[in-house]
Amino acid sequence: MTIDTKLSRRGFIVKSISLLSTVYFIPDIITSAQAAKPLNEEVNSDTKWAMSIDVDKCAKGCTACVDACVEENGLYGFDRPETDSQWIRKLTIKDIKTDKVKVVPMLCQHCENPPCCDVCPTGASFRRVDGIVMVNQHTCIGCRYCMMACPFKARSFVHENLTEQVTTAPRGKGCVESCNFCVNRIDHGIPTTACEEACMKEGHKAISFGDLSDPNSRVSQALKTKQNRRLRADLSLKQRVTYSNI
Amino acid sequence: MYQLAIRLLLLIIFLISPDIYSHDGINHSIKGKSKADDATQCVEPTEIMQKEHFVFLYHQRDKTVINGLRTKNHSFANCIDCHVSYDEVGEPIPINSEGQFCQTCHIQTAVNIDCFSCHASVPRGRKPEAHISLNYNHSHDHVSKEIEKLVSYVEGAK
Amino acid sequence: MEKIIFKKFQIESKTFWMMFFGLGFVILIGYLCSHYMETEGHYVTGMNNQIVWGLPHIFAVLLIVIASGVLNIASISSVFDKKLYKPLAPLSALLAMAFLISGLAILVLDLGRPDRLIVAMTTYNFKSIFAWNIFLYSGFAGILAIYIWTMLDRNVNKFSRPAGIFAFTWRIVLTTGTGSIFGFLISREAYGTAILAPLFIIMSLLYGTVVYFLIVKAINYFQKTLFSEEILQNLRKLTLLFLFANLYFLILYHVTNLYISKHLEFEKFILLNGGVYTIAFWVGQVVIGLILPLYILFRDENKSESSLMSATLLILVGSFLAMYVIIIAGQAYPLKMFTNYEILESSFYDNVIHTYIPTIWELGLGLGGVALSLIIVLIGIANLDFLPTVIKSPEAKKAVGSDS
Repeated sequence: MTIDTKLSRRGFIVKSISLLSTVYFIPDIITSAQAAKPLNEEVNSDTKWAMSIDVDKCAKGCTACVDACVEENGLYGFDRPETDSQWIRKLTIKDIKTDKVKVVPMLCQHCENPPCCDVCPTGASFRRVDGIVMVNQHTCIGCRYCMMACPFKARSFVHENLTEQVTTAPRGKGCVESCNFCVNRIDHGIPTTACEEACMKEGHKAISFGDLSDPNSRVSQALKTKQNRRLRADLSLKQRVTYSNI
Repeated sequence: MYQLAIRLLLLIIFLISPDIYSHDGINHSIKGKSKADDATQCVEPTEIMQKEHFVFLYHQRDKTVINGLRTKNHSFANCIDCHVSYDEVGEPIPINSEGQFCQTCHIQTAVNIDCFSCHASVPRGRKPEAHISLNYNHSHDHVSKEIEKLVSYVEGAK
Repeated sequence: MEKIIFKKFQIESKTFWMMFFGLGFVILIGYLCSHYMETEGHYVTGMNNQIVWGLPHIFAVLLIVIASGVLNIASISSVFDKKLYKPLAPLSALLAMAFLISGLAILVLDLGRPDRLIVAMTTYNFKSIFAWNIFLYSGFAGILAIYIWTMLDRNVNKFSRPAGIFAFTWRIVLTTGTGSIFGFLISREAYGTAILAPLFIIMSLLYGTVVYFLIVKAINYFQKTLFSEEILQNLRKLTLLFLFANLYFLILYHVTNLYISKHLEFEKFILLNGGVYTIAFWVGQVVIGLILPLYILFRDENKSESSLMSATLLILVGSFLAMYVIIIAGQAYPLKMFTNYEILESSFYDNVIHTYIPTIWELGLGLGGVALSLIIVLIGIANLDFLPTVIKSPEAKKAVGSDS
């Protein structure tokens, strides 16, 4: 068996351009690695997690983000769609004026002024200093007032006994839960959410996640290139999840 | 008086009996084998762990949820990872089931634990520290197609 | 100063125990229902991720609103110093306490984690109106206890006026708080308006007054001493007044919403095309709860007790449906997340008007709560001197006083 080690001219061009392309992608990963905090350090407000969603890139019929979320957080249901949890879901929407139909992922918008946290009687619904809105399930009493307050229906109440939770996403009956930007990943230095990862793997790249204070992060880049909007801007909630082309 | 003294003595004997501290480093009552069986000591001296494990857990739990602290030593996921037993076929046995690490003591001391209504009682799913890099498989395909085009253009120009 | 003699409830022991065990049975059923809901999870109820607050909340909010309103009688006596009402004041405070406790019990038992009540009592988020309500409710119970004590114990009787004024102020704040639970929900079109707070106060006054009347009539059935004609006429006047006020605030609430163009769609839903919710609003809240009682009270020239009784029953049915409209219809209307887009499809029911069909478990819990309030009243009046033995108008009493 002989191995042709001679580099053809064509092969050379392919490889060199490919190498360039790798270099092109590398900065993302490097800056992310820098943004990751050591395990023994507490989060601080220098990090500002955010997400930008390009609606035009979101593909019809694709549920990669939803499936990834289910797998990452062990959100298996009981075939009871009215009571099963959904942290991220896809909506089909129609422009009232132009009748143009689009699909859009809907998840917790991680408001800077979150109504859910304002109404929570025990403070279980809270906003971490790095901008993640989440539920402290150790103090959640299951009153569901946050679900009444959320303008995006982002929260779910766990309606039944669970047994198959995953280690990285504890969740249980009687508490309210919602998207937490895959907080376990972030804290372990993996600055991408399951939904973003899945969307990238599918090649759609509709979801860009990252640290706003890092100008090179994917979300900062996305915000630079396209004009992003917040849903229900009339409420002045200053969401960290924004949408473009909507 | 005499009877009272006997009763008191019996009570003391009952209280200090090793039954209560079932996990004294030896795997005597727990079915299956766990990583902890081979370790000489937990993250703190055994005596302290027996008496104060919940203090560590409570403390770290708030630090973790609210402040994102993820150190391993007092992490609940790590406790389970190390103390969960595996049966003959290598399947993990829920740590809160009867005769397992948590339950042997907690049944005896009649302290109800609420951890496992939410937390996984066996290591399940992705490992917290698992490495995930953004995988650009498809975008690579996309890029390589572009490169092909580029190459053919370059070659064609020749 | 004439003396009012308060006595225990004069009731046959057999009747007492029959009522006691009857109510106790309903409470037991209610508790079992809540226990089942807690162990199985809320999927066994009609509540889901769309309608997150259901029948238990209708019962609970109604009972709490009644609790605040039923204190009205005591307030009139202590705060506005109307001698006529003085004999009725302690019972009024007891009723307030009973309804408050049972309303709270329902709320707590419907929590996802009722076992964490201690967390709710020790961890507070002071930005939350709900947390403030926990203070308001428990504080109200404490103040009521002191108020009852000042009224029943002659040694501290002189403090009953300040205690009454304090209780009066507190309950106005309390009902404002209850109304604000909904009023502060900016995201939902049905809520998010401060008018809900005064609307709730007026509702509490109306429902409290008629419930008071109903309970006194029930006690009167066993022990015919309680009502003078004058008080009866006053209660009728109060009911009429509160009915008008209620109607006024209800119109104000909906007209305001009609002018807030953001809320226009929701108003159309409630007033015109909301199906069962529209029917509940017009037939239940408006016609049964307000118009018919007004009509009955106006038409009855003789101002008889029976007309007040039928108005009372209608108002109570209406009160229940009013809460249904406020709590359920408010959630049934889907959230408007996009300004320029209409939602076509969603796996999470974002584009449909939600339906709510309560199950037996929620109903059991709610009825158990009502039974709890009644049993507290029963035990209270049977063991402590809450009931005035003779009530006469002040003139009549003066006559008696000058005789002796």
